[in-house]
Amino acid sequence: MQNEEQLTCKIEDWANCCGGVDDDDFMQKQSSIPLLGDKEPLSTLAAEYQSGSPILLEKIKVLAHKYAAIRRARGDGNCFFRSFMFSYLEHILETQDRAEVDRIKIKVEECRKTLQGLGYVDFTFEDFFALFLEQLDDVLQGNENSISHEELQNRSCDQSVSDYIVMFFRFVTTGEIRKRSQFFEPFILGLTNTTVEQFCKSSVEPMGEESDHMHITALSDALGVPIRVVYLDRSSCDAGGVSVNHHNFVPAPGNLPSATSASSESINPFITMLYRPGHYDILYPK
Amino acid sequence: MQASRARLFKEYKEVQREKVADPDIQLACDDTNIFKWTALIKGPSETPFEGGVFQLVFSVPEQYPLQPPQVRFLTKIFHPNVHFKTGEICLDILKNAWSPAWTLQSVCRAIIALMAHPEPDSPLNCDSGNLVDVLFV
Repeated sequence: MQNEEQLTCKIEDWANCCGGVDDDDFMQKQSSIPLLGDKEPLSTLAAEYQSGSPILLEKIKVLAHKYAAIRRARGDGNCFFRSFMFSYLEHILETQDRAEVDRIKIKVEECRKTLQGLGYVDFTFEDFFALFLEQLDDVLQGNENSISHEELQNRSCDQSVSDYIVMFFRFVTTGEIRKRSQFFEPFILGLTNTTVEQFCKSSVEPMGEESDHMHITALSDALGVPIRVVYLDRSSCDAGGVSVNHHNFVPAPGNLPSATSASSESINPFITMLYRPGHYDILYPK
Repeated sequence: MQASRARLFKEYKEVQREKVADPDIQLACDDTNIFKWTALIKGPSETPFEGGVFQLVFSVPEQYPLQPPQVRFLTKIFHPNVHFKTGEICLDILKNAWSPAWTLQSVCRAIIALMAHPEPDSPLNCDSGNLVDVLFV
């Protein structure tokens, strides 16, 4: 019996190391879905669960009071970062908020210094930084390279651009977690029982590694951008009447140990994501 | 394609600079194709590989550095995580733990570390893996 267990263990290890068949199959299905879909009315979400859990259908009804639309991201493990990318750039494109662009550029420079301070070689991350900064300039109108909403969507679905920007966010996130390793360490130990550095190397930096609370906290803090995550799961509340939980990730002022919920209700993040276990999409408020 | 070429060119320049810094690794790019590299690495001391020089071949994909380089041993080596016939290497950073933060140079360092610290739990060479299990566990 024990031998059998050991054997399964080894086979699993091997499969993890060298890519299992199921993974390939799953990835193949996923790769027929665009990296980012079109904006769809929230009713399409309800349609997905028509024959499913009544709790979820109830929750989607509640969701519909506040939110109008959804934009789906491909479930390739990068959905959080990709949704963040599109949501942020779309916000800048629509608001033309130059003050915000100036603000985030300062943050991006800080992130660059963080990585340098941690010993990352410049050429390993500079191309990713450059491409994000380029997109920031391009969504601002009135210069030679300005782009339309349609072009933003095209670029977000173009793997060669989109993946580079996802990777930019991964570098930013890893830098923030490692810089404040004392703050993140207890959470990481609780989750994976590895060191902060190992966690970053195996769960933040590689493409396709899914994002967790920690990634979101770190990215939000590093760039100073609040993020709202709305949770759609089967959990129900006892008090009767279905409600949908959300959590605001609010960057700590000056990057002090992080986001507390005290101030988080007064903030209205311009980025909202819908979380279903294992997956993030973009939500649009009414 | 353009991005990978530019990145590899930066690595090429870095390798020229680092040559003296890391005497255990000699990394060289093919004269006519920047996507083909070879490396000579020294077997780590206090291992059976000490005193040996091992040749690696790199084949870099167009999606580099988003995708890892393919690396294998050209020199025959008896090691739990290296396929004895093909030289294929089972190392997480060359598969699902790859990230662009790695470079061809640091991949060489990781392979040297793997030579010194085999992972018998994910063997590509079962005989060698079993030997490590028997001898050290």
